[in-house]
Amino acid sequence: MTGNDRASEKPIPSPDADSAQLWRGLRDGVLLLQHCDKCRHVQYYQQGMCRQCGAEDIRHRPACGRGKVHSFSVVHRAPGPAFKDDVPYAVLLVDLEEGPRMISTFTGGPPEDVTFDLNVTLVVEISGDGTALPRFRRS
Amino acid sequence: MSETTLRGKVAVIGIGISPVGKVPGRSPLWLAADASKKALADAGLEKSVVDGVLSCHAFASPFHRFSVALSEYFGIQPTFSNTLQVSGATAATMFNIGAAAIQGGLAKVILLTAGDSLMTGLTPEMALRSMTESRDQQYEMPYGIPVANTFAMTAHRHMREFGTTAEQLAEVAVVSRRHASRTPGAQQTAPITIDDVLNSGWVTTPYHKLDCSLISDGGAAFILTSAEHAKELGIVNPIYILGGGECYTHEHIFLMPSLTSTGAVMSSRNAYAMAGYGPKDMHIAGIYDCFTGTVIMMLEDLGFCPKGEGGRFVADGHMTYGGQIPSNTHGGLLSFAHPGMPGSLFHFYEVIAQLRGQCGDRQVAGAQLGLVHSLGAGYATNATTVLGTENVL
Ligand SMILES: [Zn+2]
Repeated sequence: MTGNDRASEKPIPSPDADSAQLWRGLRDGVLLLQHCDKCRHVQYYQQGMCRQCGAEDIRHRPACGRGKVHSFSVVHRAPGPAFKDDVPYAVLLVDLEEGPRMISTFTGGPPEDVTFDLNVTLVVEISGDGTALPRFRRS
Repeated sequence: MSETTLRGKVAVIGIGISPVGKVPGRSPLWLAADASKKALADAGLEKSVVDGVLSCHAFASPFHRFSVALSEYFGIQPTFSNTLQVSGATAATMFNIGAAAIQGGLAKVILLTAGDSLMTGLTPEMALRSMTESRDQQYEMPYGIPVANTFAMTAHRHMREFGTTAEQLAEVAVVSRRHASRTPGAQQTAPITIDDVLNSGWVTTPYHKLDCSLISDGGAAFILTSAEHAKELGIVNPIYILGGGECYTHEHIFLMPSLTSTGAVMSSRNAYAMAGYGPKDMHIAGIYDCFTGTVIMMLEDLGFCPKGEGGRFVADGHMTYGGQIPSNTHGGLLSFAHPGMPGSLFHFYEVIAQLRGQCGDRQVAGAQLGLVHSLGAGYATNATTVLGTENVL
């Protein structure tokens, strides 16, 4: 495969030992958050231990899917040919109701619909290559 | 704060830069080596006295151990070397670590250098990698998130929380361009207005093309040694490292503790404490300016103005001559040059040249104390160095 072939395709996430469950959950249409049994910390970024207290008693639970836009930026210049047809698209930092903040993109409407504090709802979208990604639409 | 200190123990005794901007046909190693030759000549030293080399990764170079490859290219065999990587903050960490290594006896004369050719030296694949390289392959890259986007979201939130305006962001670019117009060899020197910035087309909101730093080729180099050895060598105008500080608050932008307050607060606080000076004492600053909004947030976090007032501070003329803290008087990454890692080393070159009084018609009169702040990866990495002349030791 030449560099140009690869550049025209979107990056496919390779799950690792910390994140395998997250990607399995997304294939089933749910966003799994890690809840620490010990200190009640909730994390989106998947790890083999709690970021706050280090405990390994972590339970995966589906997110309720409700969140609020903390900040955003509409991409007009695509980072490479794979995203050329998608611009303009809005990248979001979403505060989930359970606490964690995550990065994602806006779906189901033009990027001009995005505002600060917009209430958004999780949508798990499956792309052509089979990758399931958590995105957000206006609630 | 630790009881041991770098304060005044190590001096910068040589500075050099390669041609910058569009420098076709020159590799990152050549650019670093060319700057290194000039820095040694500036110090009046032969390359044989260099026993330490610090450098950092170059996008347009295949070498993982750039500092080692550079030593071979330059024909030296140092007994201390490393290739550092904390993204854009690497520049200031090179000075901090170089000073610590000299004080700790690991090396006597350190060559600190970087070179890269982002403008003419990248293959399409390298260019793509340079755009997204530091983003997480699972959590960020699948969405198409350019590096610029993370900085854009922090600036956007700053506008939301503090009322910072697009015009205030643009003013940073206008001032930087005016500064560059007086700097020999700067890449962009044609004057621009706020309207030019606002009409230059979106990259990622709230950033237009002219809110973003340049893409360039270039290299820079410095020679560091102990204050005592600088004396032995009879160096005329050594510039001392007075304080250093760093701070690493997160890896992923969505885990940044606050989008509008950064690790620069802590890195600069530690650097000031070591130096025994505060922000109001600084005569000149080199502030990492990958984007216009970055400068506004850093002017706040480095203590030059209160949180939320950076936009007004810039609009009131405080980052240029006659203002509170003339910053990026060479034009910065926005207008002088931005070849990746070496970019922030040009801020060091300028601040040191200003402290030496060598800046001709862009000289800040009486500059004795200066600060350089480097940062990277959506504010994940922050490092500050305070420098001064013999008079302020
Ligand atoms: Zn815990």
